[in-house]
Amino acid sequence: MDKNIFLVGLNHRSAGVDVREKFALTNVADFEKSLLAACPLREVMALSTCNRVEILVVADSARCQDMDAAEAVLAHWAATCQGPLDVLRQHTYRHQGMDAVTHLFCVAASLDSMIMGEPQILGQLKNSYRKAVETGTARVIINRLLHKSFSVAKRVRTETAIASSAVSISYAAVELAKKIFGELTGKTAMLVGAGEMAELAATHLLASGIEKLYICNRTYARAQELAKTMRGEAVFFEDMAERLSGVDIVITSTGSPTVIIRAKDIREVLKKRRNRAMFFIDIAVPRDIDPDVNSLDNVYLYDIDDLKEVVEENMSARKSEAVKARAIVDLETEAFGTWMKSLALQPTITDLLSRAEDVAERELAKTLKRLGPVDDETRQALEVLVRSVGRKLLHEPICFLKRRTREEGSSDRFIDVTRRIFNLDSDPVNPDAHLDRRSPEDDEPLDCECCRDEDQDREAGHGEPKQ
Amino acid sequence: MGLPEILPILVIGLYFLGTAFYVLGSALRNERIKGMALNIAGTGFALNAVDLAGQLLAGDAAAAITSARFLFSLMGFGILVIFGLLWWRLRMRFLIVVALPLSLIFYATANATSGFKASLPPMLSGLFFFMHIGTLFSSMALLAMAFGAGLAFLHLEKRIKTKAGLKKFQQDMPSLDTFDRVNHWVIVIGFPLYTVGMVSGFVWAWLAAKRVFSFDPKEILALVMLGLYAYLFHQRLAYGWRGRKPAVMAMAVFLLMVVSMLGINFLVPTTFHGFKA
Repeated sequence: MDKNIFLVGLNHRSAGVDVREKFALTNVADFEKSLLAACPLREVMALSTCNRVEILVVADSARCQDMDAAEAVLAHWAATCQGPLDVLRQHTYRHQGMDAVTHLFCVAASLDSMIMGEPQILGQLKNSYRKAVETGTARVIINRLLHKSFSVAKRVRTETAIASSAVSISYAAVELAKKIFGELTGKTAMLVGAGEMAELAATHLLASGIEKLYICNRTYARAQELAKTMRGEAVFFEDMAERLSGVDIVITSTGSPTVIIRAKDIREVLKKRRNRAMFFIDIAVPRDIDPDVNSLDNVYLYDIDDLKEVVEENMSARKSEAVKARAIVDLETEAFGTWMKSLALQPTITDLLSRAEDVAERELAKTLKRLGPVDDETRQALEVLVRSVGRKLLHEPICFLKRRTREEGSSDRFIDVTRRIFNLDSDPVNPDAHLDRRSPEDDEPLDCECCRDEDQDREAGHGEPKQ
Repeated sequence: MGLPEILPILVIGLYFLGTAFYVLGSALRNERIKGMALNIAGTGFALNAVDLAGQLLAGDAAAAITSARFLFSLMGFGILVIFGLLWWRLRMRFLIVVALPLSLIFYATANATSGFKASLPPMLSGLFFFMHIGTLFSSMALLAMAFGAGLAFLHLEKRIKTKAGLKKFQQDMPSLDTFDRVNHWVIVIGFPLYTVGMVSGFVWAWLAAKRVFSFDPKEILALVMLGLYAYLFHQRLAYGWRGRKPAVMAMAVFLLMVVSMLGINFLVPTTFHGFKA
């Protein structure tokens, strides 16, 4: 029986945060179970994150003819979240068949994310899938589809540079530091002043293996407080210049109206540290560090605008990589479509083989009856013979069907013809069938030597072979 | 056509293919192509070794080591040996884009000069060969690596300093610090080797011709290079030079070396170091 895939969902583009929080699914497993109970669906999987809700369902095509599966899902969703169906309908998108597959692949590969290329979505999708498997609502098609989407995500990640560059200011700063120093293990950083972004950058640096973090603030108590949370060392503001000679990375974000670090100070610092490279990240506005510092050898200075530019450039690079990623998604969708078509063929192949098996069994029984008692070896040899004749005879037609079903639009026709040729559905054939298409000579009764048994022939006196 | 005849063509072909594939692999960010390029280069390197051994075993070893062909192919081989060491110690696989074309140039030059013969007397063998040619060639191969690392350093530093943004190619490059470390090791190891090479040359000249310095153009240039190298050594180790300055200077010394090796050997008449037909 043919299956159809539906996907309904909402994301950060289709719905605002108020709608998203209203229709977020807090208990996905319960939702999946109740949806399966409420609607005649075969498989269900739901993903709910802060930026999106995606509900993937698989239904039998025959059953879907009488109902709108997507609408049924929406109604159940609205009821679960106790929200107005109209609002939900307005903010959701619906995909069906291969469009649904493409959408899911794009979500897994983070092409549909708010920050394109971010890696979290794949983990969230894997979690949702695991839960659906545990609940028992994911079966053949969702299993295959989700495994495929994980491999598509991996391909996109390795074959394109979609996730290769930083798209947040704090990450961009860490990446630049890595480009200057190589590994950050054993390096020292100093945070001058406090600010959310500067603290975030310092946290990223710590996560990248920075050995020591000094925290310097005009208010020493604040520095101590931060030092405690970030496991750093508080430094008096007056001691900053002195400590700089032992620091490789400096992040400044004070509210000072004038510069606090001048090029001539750094010249002295460089002499003390024997020209070892220094990286300054100035997140403050107005700036804390004299721009001339950048002209010194082995000193690199990035202010907030420079970092923003880096981020923007990386963002546009990701967008151009998305084109390549999209091509991979399209290719994989096509491959999945082929698998789905082969799924439609599967029952026909099974029926064909069991028909061959039936015939073999029958003919074997007759032959054994005629032969009388035979030893086990001969019987087994005969069994193998009749079965393999049946299978080998069907091999070519099955290959032909597999090839044809890969072609667009012809699968149903060939499957139908095959079922009729072999009468796999055991439909009674009316002797008057297709009478209008027969010529007068065809009026003789349909009799074929292949259907006749030798026993019958012998009884009718035709048993002797002709000389 | 026997193996000795096709060996040079094979080595040149493999070095060329290795370079081309590595550049292609870098452009496409394809590790498999890069790996293939390294395998091709490795095969070329092995055949280069076979060629060198073949030249030594073919006949008179003393005559072989004074031939331009042997010396130039040894130089190409040495550059790859030094690259291998840097790859092993500093993970500087990137330098293959410099090492391989240079080896190709030197190996191709070696085969273009098969008719030439260095006027070095056969006395220059064993210990002196190792002391003079071995040390000088090693320090030159090191300088070649410093040249590559210096170019990469200057390029990457410019991108970072001017905030021009890092393209895919630069994102794949090692850090500035790694390039600087190559420069450091080249100077720390290369300068003593170069000095040993020079001093052994003077000692040999005194033993052979009873004079230390013969105002040969190559000797004059070598002394200038020694001076520059010494200055670089001092500035880097005593004064703490890092980054751009030592990179530029190492590149300048390497270029002088190329001039002295190729230009003077073939174009300017010289007493000891030229190659004559």
